[in-house]
Amino acid sequence: MLWLRGNIMALLSETAKVEGLVRKPVATPSAWQVWRYRLKVALREPTTLVGVLTALIFTYLIVVPIISIVLDAVRVQFGHERRLGKDVGDLTLYYIDRAFFSPVAHDLFWRPLFNTLTVALGAISLSLVIGTVLAWLISRTDMFGRRWFATALIVPYMLPAWTFALAWTTLFKNRTIGGQPGWFEAMGLTPPDWVAYGRFPITIILALHYTPFVILLFGSALRRFDSQLEDSARILGAHRYQVAIQIIMPLMRPALLSSMVLIFAKCLGEFGVPYVLGLPVKFEVLSTSLFRSIASRQTGVAGVVAASIMLIGIITLMIDARLVREARRFVTIGSKGSMNRQSRLGKMRLPATGFAATVFILSVGLPLLTLALSTVMKMPAKFTLDNFTLDYWIGTDLHTVALQTGILLSPELWAAAKNTMMIVGLASLVSGVLGLLVGYVVIRTPVRALSVYLRQVTFLPYLVPGIAFAAAYLSLFAVPRGPMPALYGTVTILILALIADQMPYASRAGISAMTQLGKDPEEAAQIAGAGWFRRMISIVIPIQKGSLVTGVLLPFISGIKGLSLFVILAVPSTDVLTTYSLRLVDYHYTQAANAVVLIIAAIAYFGTLLAQKLTRTNLAEGLGS
Amino acid sequence: MPTINLRGAQKNYGVNSANAVSDLDLEIRDGEFMCLLGPSGCGKTTTLRMIAGLENLSGGEIRVGDRVIDSVADGIFIPPERREMGLVFQSYALWPHLTIERNTDFGLRLRKLPKAEREARVERVMQALDIAKYRDRYPSQLSGGQQQRVALARMLAVNPGVLLLDEPLSNLDARLRLEMRAELKRLHKEFKTTIVFVTHDQWEAMTLATTIAVMNEGTLQQMGTPNDIYDRPANRFVAEFVGSPPINILTFGKPGASDIADKAEAYFAARYPQLRGIGSIGMRPEAMGYAAKLEDVPQGSFSGEMTVTGVLPTGGSWILELRSENHTLFLTTHALPRVDSGDRVFFHVPAEALHVFDADGQRITEADALLRSSTYN
Repeated sequence: MLWLRGNIMALLSETAKVEGLVRKPVATPSAWQVWRYRLKVALREPTTLVGVLTALIFTYLIVVPIISIVLDAVRVQFGHERRLGKDVGDLTLYYIDRAFFSPVAHDLFWRPLFNTLTVALGAISLSLVIGTVLAWLISRTDMFGRRWFATALIVPYMLPAWTFALAWTTLFKNRTIGGQPGWFEAMGLTPPDWVAYGRFPITIILALHYTPFVILLFGSALRRFDSQLEDSARILGAHRYQVAIQIIMPLMRPALLSSMVLIFAKCLGEFGVPYVLGLPVKFEVLSTSLFRSIASRQTGVAGVVAASIMLIGIITLMIDARLVREARRFVTIGSKGSMNRQSRLGKMRLPATGFAATVFILSVGLPLLTLALSTVMKMPAKFTLDNFTLDYWIGTDLHTVALQTGILLSPELWAAAKNTMMIVGLASLVSGVLGLLVGYVVIRTPVRALSVYLRQVTFLPYLVPGIAFAAAYLSLFAVPRGPMPALYGTVTILILALIADQMPYASRAGISAMTQLGKDPEEAAQIAGAGWFRRMISIVIPIQKGSLVTGVLLPFISGIKGLSLFVILAVPSTDVLTTYSLRLVDYHYTQAANAVVLIIAAIAYFGTLLAQKLTRTNLAEGLGS
Repeated sequence: MPTINLRGAQKNYGVNSANAVSDLDLEIRDGEFMCLLGPSGCGKTTTLRMIAGLENLSGGEIRVGDRVIDSVADGIFIPPERREMGLVFQSYALWPHLTIERNTDFGLRLRKLPKAEREARVERVMQALDIAKYRDRYPSQLSGGQQQRVALARMLAVNPGVLLLDEPLSNLDARLRLEMRAELKRLHKEFKTTIVFVTHDQWEAMTLATTIAVMNEGTLQQMGTPNDIYDRPANRFVAEFVGSPPINILTFGKPGASDIADKAEAYFAARYPQLRGIGSIGMRPEAMGYAAKLEDVPQGSFSGEMTVTGVLPTGGSWILELRSENHTLFLTTHALPRVDSGDRVFFHVPAEALHVFDADGQRITEADALLRSSTYN
């Protein structure tokens, strides 16, 4: 028996050996086995779960409101049942017909559209002319004070656009409307209406406000431009102007087009400037027309106008995306061994500096000085000592109907400031954190579809001008829907809308931070034995501390300046600084309104400086992406 | 650590993309120093990351001993943090917000070792890698070579069963690289760990490895000792990838395309008529000699007359560029060449130094014995 067992043992070990030597082919796994394995890998860590949750949140906060307002445009709204002979919610083409083809369509849509387009084109042309020259002077010449101008000329972008609108009215307001007259009027020179209100000032102000865009985008393209490309052309015998036309301009075209498109998109959603300067002469652009439709409870027409604005915005930014792709193609050619040589201006050095200084004075110095002076003067344009007072800031027992104290002592200001801090602060904090989470999921999740969806859905609000987005929120949350109570008039709707509106910036910041970090440090921790939560706490968050701070701070600044969202969604009890100042404008408390705007401008300016300091980056880089 | 076994391992990154790694079988035995060698994009880093668990499989399985740690068919996936392996990244991936000491004891803290033991182990690896004096610095304050040592120390501290290295020397300058190579060899002895090392540098692989696995386009080309790889390349890819200057290839079956190849074909037809299906032959530049006169060409070797078109000194040795009517060959010599451009010379290779490949580029192994035996008669 023993030998038998021995033999069997030998036999067994023999086969075992053979099996070990001869490779047993691994069967191709079935589709379901592959699926099960993938699911296991995907669900092993919370990344995918977090991704699915955030995707759901953003679908509700971003996609659903947009769908809701588009539906409003084609469905019978409350109050129109009788006239249309249909029930609320039935499909109808009435609003589209009214907005595009009816006798009032001209006032509702076509005229505002024409105004929007002409103002935008005017602003674009003007800012391109000024901006390209300044960008070239700053980045490629020996102009005096280049470094200083490089920062100083960007300041208009850090301030809210309608700061300049208020400064303009302070100077040029004429007797057409009531309230305190402008300085020129007060000095006996009545500015004509076309100077004081409407197309002309709006175009000028938007041009000055968006010139920094051109300086930043065009300037950075110029800086990246390789002088060797220029030199090669020169060595082959090209003249300076031939180099400019045949080499530099074609390579700069994407940057130029891109800044044009961006300015156009911004002009499309601009509300404050046309509101302050257009209203007195009934000069309407799309955003103010939308505002009027909402204010007069024309929900259906508002839906049509909002959807139109969104459509134009989306088309514009899709064009931009194409241009950026094209620009990348150029960068790869020109990026190596970048050498940046300065042109000597010679005799033109002083005039060039003068030009830059003039632009600075017109776009920053003069408006701010005007606003500042206006807040300490009782009568406009009367420069005598007894006319100056600090009452509008810190006075008490003033003989006015309302606002009987200086603005700094008025409880409304502090309430608005508190609201601003709370609403904008909370929204920024949430969107900053969500942005980092989205960035993490987008970069890390093994589920590609989730990554793509999150990236796109969080970017969607960028395509939708703020005013249209606010209208969408109003459309969705004005009435109770399902478990969601009516949110109009609450702080919640403002915070939700702000979070959604800031997500493009927050998620981009998060994604780029996570891309820069790369996956190596986290994988190293994983190899060392750290699970998901340990890695988050010990590795990812500590390393991303800086970008988390920026991810909160930058939305905060843009939120402080923001007007279009609030003007539709805020009510007096939820006033923020911007809507408060607009209310003061409406009541013709010029000094107080200007003071509030100065406060906002100061917060925005110093906040931006702080953000730049913290991240050691330039605004230019953030804009390019 | 027991033997690591990859069986039919496969990776593709998208439905429509080509396999990054396809049907790979690999066996890594305990204590081995294995190099994965191949051109960039050949799947060697992907293979390493699959072993570590940083990349999941698209097919196949990975075992450690009898234990399956990763298998699509069985739905098993042990995450990297529980595989007890060490991986040194090409970028080092030191944590920028932690000091060198904290970087090094990160893994030990996670394992909740008693403080005394933790300190002892950190001390040991820091001493071994000579980084103890930087313990309170941050990674950004160290040079590339020092960072490299920290990255190694961090992994060695937890005493992993296998140490995976992803081109760890590629970011170092030539001198430092040489030092680190010696260092790695010493560490391999001292810590007795299995090491899997990814590189595209053939000399690195040759000098370090006990076993080399050559990969190309996601598939394993050959696995063997460094000498095997160099002396008996399994196919034309391995033959051409290993060696510098690269091996001279003569392609058969295209009469008129190359006079030297035609000559080689005639040589084989005359001397080894039993060898059939030859696609090409290879001659290593180092195996070739040259003579000024036909009489000096050794008997039985393959030779031909060509013109010297270049003499390139490489410091200690010279590369000769030889041209015929329509072929260019390179040969290496360690003696000062007494020829100049324009001279006519006879190159010659002993039959045993010829590598014979079939039409598919696979080595015809039967040819080896034949060629070897024939040289001496």
